[in-house]
Amino acid sequence: MTGPVATSTTGATTAAPAGHLAAQARALVAIGRQSVRSALAVRSEVLVSGVAVLVRVVLVILVWRAVYGSTPEVVGVDRSTAVAYAVLGAVFTNVLNPFWRSSLEVRVRQGRIAVDLLRPVGLVPQTLAQQVGTTAAAVPRCVLAVLLALVIGALQAPAGGVLGLLAFAVSTVLGVAVALLCNLVVAMTAFWTLEVGGALMVYRAVAQFASGALIPLWFMPGWLRGTLEWLPFQAQVFTPLSVYFGTVRGWDAVGAVAVQALWVVLLALLAQLVWSRALHRVVVQGG
Amino acid sequence: MIRAEGLVKEFTRPVRRTGPLAGVRSLLTRERVTTRAVDGVSFTVDRGELVGYLGPNGAGKSTTIKMLTGVLVPTAGTVEVDGRVPWRDRTRNARGIGVVFGQRTQLWHDLPLRDSFELVAKLYGLDQPDYQRALGRFTELLDLHEFLDTPVRGLSLGQRMRGDLTAAMLYGPPLLYLDEPTVGLDVVAKARIREFVAETNAVDGTTVVLTTHDLVDVERLCRRVLLIDHGQVLYDGDLAALRRRYVPYRDLVVTLAREDDGPLVAPPGTTVVERPRSARDTARVVVFRFDPAQTPTPAVVAAVTAEHEVVDLDVTDPDLEAVIAEIYSSGRVRA
Ligand SMILES: Nc1ncnc2c1ncn2[C@@H]1O[C@H](COP(=O)(O)OP(=O)(O)OP(=O)(O)O)[C@@H](O)[C@H]1O
Ligand SMILES: [Mg+2]
Repeated sequence: MTGPVATSTTGATTAAPAGHLAAQARALVAIGRQSVRSALAVRSEVLVSGVAVLVRVVLVILVWRAVYGSTPEVVGVDRSTAVAYAVLGAVFTNVLNPFWRSSLEVRVRQGRIAVDLLRPVGLVPQTLAQQVGTTAAAVPRCVLAVLLALVIGALQAPAGGVLGLLAFAVSTVLGVAVALLCNLVVAMTAFWTLEVGGALMVYRAVAQFASGALIPLWFMPGWLRGTLEWLPFQAQVFTPLSVYFGTVRGWDAVGAVAVQALWVVLLALLAQLVWSRALHRVVVQGG
Repeated sequence: MIRAEGLVKEFTRPVRRTGPLAGVRSLLTRERVTTRAVDGVSFTVDRGELVGYLGPNGAGKSTTIKMLTGVLVPTAGTVEVDGRVPWRDRTRNARGIGVVFGQRTQLWHDLPLRDSFELVAKLYGLDQPDYQRALGRFTELLDLHEFLDTPVRGLSLGQRMRGDLTAAMLYGPPLLYLDEPTVGLDVVAKARIREFVAETNAVDGTTVVLTTHDLVDVERLCRRVLLIDHGQVLYDGDLAALRRRYVPYRDLVVTLAREDDGPLVAPPGTTVVERPRSARDTARVVVFRFDPAQTPTPAVVAAVTAEHEVVDLDVTDPDLEAVIAEIYSSGRVRA
């Protein structure tokens, strides 16, 4: 039975392909904005996470200053850079901390995936839009933390002036994209087994370590760094921070950003591929 | 509008181990158990119909609805909604359907109800005037005024259900799936939702597939019912015909004015059924049983009131509940 869809109260009609894409794009923007508002809806939660990032930033400053003591340099990294790196690392960790309260894996376990699948938007773009919204909601508290670090002299402006700042911004956006896509692909294992809790905790620890959010990759032994080059983790944090501190600059910086972009494309394709497999395995927990 | 043929859905899960190291052993085992939630269901639903999809707990109703809506991919069989395969063309199918799963909500927990509606409007590409008009109409019909600006987590079950109905209908989908939309509601709330569904179906011509355990919902709303159990269709057809198949009679219950009214006269086509006198009866109550297809109800009423002085009378149809209970417990429908 085909033919025009009878619409009753409103003008929801079957859209043409181009219109369909535009409609999807608008829907995604709406989902992203709603996720921002959802994340900011509970005041106490906003306050606690704001305080948490500030505390963490202060703590890493204290720890790294203590680690260096009066040593001016460790493996070519001077004290102020190490402290500043730790500050930004803490802020990135706070934003990228995978598996928020409404991440895909949680939604699968609670059966809320059924609601997601009723929306007129693809599951992968929809989940990403949600996560982008939640990430965006974290921006104010991160800016606050960075300002605090700047004021107390634990952080300097990025290397390379305005251009450097711009490069850092681009690299950060790509880094966040890589992280969200990685998390999404990993979370989709929940379609195969519900007992992913432990595995995700291991993944989270590995990701934090391998992305350079906890310890700069400069301090890692050569063989380990060589291995990490081939994984999508350092593109999440280490690349943007290297751009910030100017340890990667000029064409090298362009190259590093290009590698990030490549990861984004590859991971997006992978996410779509995994979803096309997962589709047949969807079960809805409860009712 | 909907065509399902030989729909099957199986759920497979690994066998759970008990005893020491149960978790690890569950992970390692290859042994699996399979349940067939839906086992070869076929039916069609035409545009504008309002069909009751009934069955006992675990019969496979919700699973079927999830396949019709594109949430689940069938293990076997085909399903087409408006010419599309829901799971393959999920997002496009989603644009033309409204869904309420009574057991869960599509609303945003932490945000005011109104915000959820706004997002739904955006998701489905409603423009502002259309949205305002639809919202106004549903606010009126379902009486949402009081809690439009309350966060969803603060709504009562009945309020949330009305919110969910609105969210499902805001963009005027021509097809509506309601999976237990009255579960846990009080009588007034139920009545309101029934009225709303009836109006949607009658005025807008919305096709409705309704799942419920409340037989009053069924009696008020559905002409046609689909009965399933163990994932298989037991009955597909007219509700009145089903009832007649089981109990082809109707009762006229009269309360006589006097205890001693002489011998009872049963009009042609009726039989007198003795009813044990209950403590509530203040006077003598007599039941005349007749087949409404053979003897018209007004004729029976006229004949009885002509013979006896009557203070009260009531025409009752046999209990749908009893019919359904028999079908569920026997697992089949009488020929
Ligand atoms: N996610 C799942 N995993 C395993 N089995 C499931 C799952 N969902 C449903 N089932 C099984 O499928 C069968 C049908 O379930 P379904 O939810 O469709 O029943 P229903 O007719 O909606 O029942 P109710 O009236 O209780 O809502 C049940 O035996 C149930 O245990
Ligand atoms: Mg159900």
